[in-house]
Amino acid sequence: MAEYEIFNPNEEFNEEGNNHEGRRWRNIIIIGVIIAIAAYLLTGIYQVGPSEVALVKTFGEYKSTAGPGLHYHLPYPFQSHVIVDVRTINKVEIGFRTTSTGRAPTYRYLTDEAEMITGDQNIISIEAVVQYRVNDPEAYAFNVIQGYDLVKSTSESVLRERVALSNLENVLTTERDRIAQETAERVQSILDSYNSGILIQNVYMQAVTPPDPVVPAFDDVNNARQDQQTSINEALRYGNDIIPRAEGEAQRILNDAQAYAYEQVAQATGETERFKALLEEYQNSADITRKRLILDSVQQMIKNAKLQVVSEKGDTLNFLDLSEIIGGEAQ
Amino acid sequence: MKNTTLWAVVIIIVFFGILFGTTAFYIVDQTQQAIVLRFGNIISIKTEPGIYVKTPFIDNVVKLEKRIMIYDIPVERVITSDRRTILADTYALWRIEDPQKFIETLRTVEVAMTRIDDIVYSHARDVIGNYTFPEVLSFQRVAILEDIKNRSEASLQDFGINVVDVRLKRTDLPQENTEAVYERMKSERYAMAAQLRAEGEREAQRMKAEADREASMIRSDAQKEAEIIRGTAEASALNIYSEAYSLDQDFYELQKITDIYKDSFNNSVLVLPNDSPLLKLFYEVE
Repeated sequence: MAEYEIFNPNEEFNEEGNNHEGRRWRNIIIIGVIIAIAAYLLTGIYQVGPSEVALVKTFGEYKSTAGPGLHYHLPYPFQSHVIVDVRTINKVEIGFRTTSTGRAPTYRYLTDEAEMITGDQNIISIEAVVQYRVNDPEAYAFNVIQGYDLVKSTSESVLRERVALSNLENVLTTERDRIAQETAERVQSILDSYNSGILIQNVYMQAVTPPDPVVPAFDDVNNARQDQQTSINEALRYGNDIIPRAEGEAQRILNDAQAYAYEQVAQATGETERFKALLEEYQNSADITRKRLILDSVQQMIKNAKLQVVSEKGDTLNFLDLSEIIGGEAQ
Repeated sequence: MKNTTLWAVVIIIVFFGILFGTTAFYIVDQTQQAIVLRFGNIISIKTEPGIYVKTPFIDNVVKLEKRIMIYDIPVERVITSDRRTILADTYALWRIEDPQKFIETLRTVEVAMTRIDDIVYSHARDVIGNYTFPEVLSFQRVAILEDIKNRSEASLQDFGINVVDVRLKRTDLPQENTEAVYERMKSERYAMAAQLRAEGEREAQRMKAEADREASMIRSDAQKEAEIIRGTAEASALNIYSEAYSLDQDFYELQKITDIYKDSFNNSVLVLPNDSPLLKLFYEVE
């Protein structure tokens, strides 16, 4: 150790310099290695969103499930994770696509997908929405690949199958809701048979309409229904008009008849009463009454006559121009 | 110098360690199955997930999918037993069940898909050809799909593929038939519309005729009633007359005749002969 005590500025400088240099490199390497190891270990940190779960695998084999939050597992190749969204409700659109969302969403209509054949071999256009979510993340992550495609193809297939069991009229009207419900049930049971871990929440029928080229004909049927009702209402109006009129007329006819009847009886009664009164007189003094009646009538007769002629043995009549008198008067 | 050597040794050990680790171990994921090949020969098959050992540099590991895959078969024209062409859009769900057979016969998923395409399409054609169009469309569909699935399953078993399901997405008519269906639907609707209108007209005519009938019946009933009333009244009048006049028929006659005289000869020319009893007083005066 004594030799180190000898002052040798060059040597000391060199030795100190070498030492310093070596230590520095060593430190850099150590820090580098530590940083590399730390960075490597940090790759095991992962975050799980509020609607998600993480499936942690150790050497590829599923071990545990982690909920939302910040988590840590051993880095590759020891552990890995798969994140599955279990709460978000996904949507499959059949027959249309939403082209933009927001305040006023726009849609694109897909004829080929929307048009289906009904049991009575008509074509109907159906737009539907299938809502689903993952209810078994393990099954979903490890049993199937294209979850969306699976739901879409199955729903499309089942919906068409179901629509083909009903006829056009019923699909358009009464069976709409039932078809949606039965489709949901059937799709669910098929997806269950694949052990897909998917839960169908709802199948909503959107527009269920006749295909575009046939719409005018359908409208015409609706118009015809209106026309039918119009005809019936018109007939009703006609009936409502003529029956009360007829009843009024009938009332008038009856009243006329009653008036006539009353008049007949009244007249008869009056006449006979008069007759009876005269008869009484007559019976009291038959001859004079008889004469009086005859003379009264002759008097009246003469008064009524327009022209009274006294003929002498009937000659005078020859000089009378009767036609002039009667005709002139008639004119 | 000593330190440097130590470092070099450490680095070499780590390097070889990593190299050995990556070549001597392999991980099979939960979604995979692995086949270990040595010079093209299958040494072992691992279907369970986990970490496994292999001979470094010599063994080669091929990993295959274990999950269910969808193969959407392109739309095909298929002819039904009633000679109608339909467009059948089928898809198959399949899984690699036997990795050994799969690797021996097909090697890759792409090749497998072409094989699935061929087989499922061929079976779909055969099976659908046995059924009529309405059957394919609806009530036999489940049976048809089951049949296609079973046949496909049997055919694809040799390739180590398990067919989970075969389903028909669409069974549409070709465009030209679709047009014909539209035309038929239109004509049906127009016929229905015509019928509805005619039924309305029929109903309206019926109702109008009924109203007419009712109105006419009301009038005739009134007419009838009126005649009865008139008749009864006339009869009563007659009765009254005859009762009264039968008291003295001579006087009735006298009275009636004198009444007739009174009312007649209106505006007429009355010729009285000279010897009329009416004028007898004139002569007496002379």
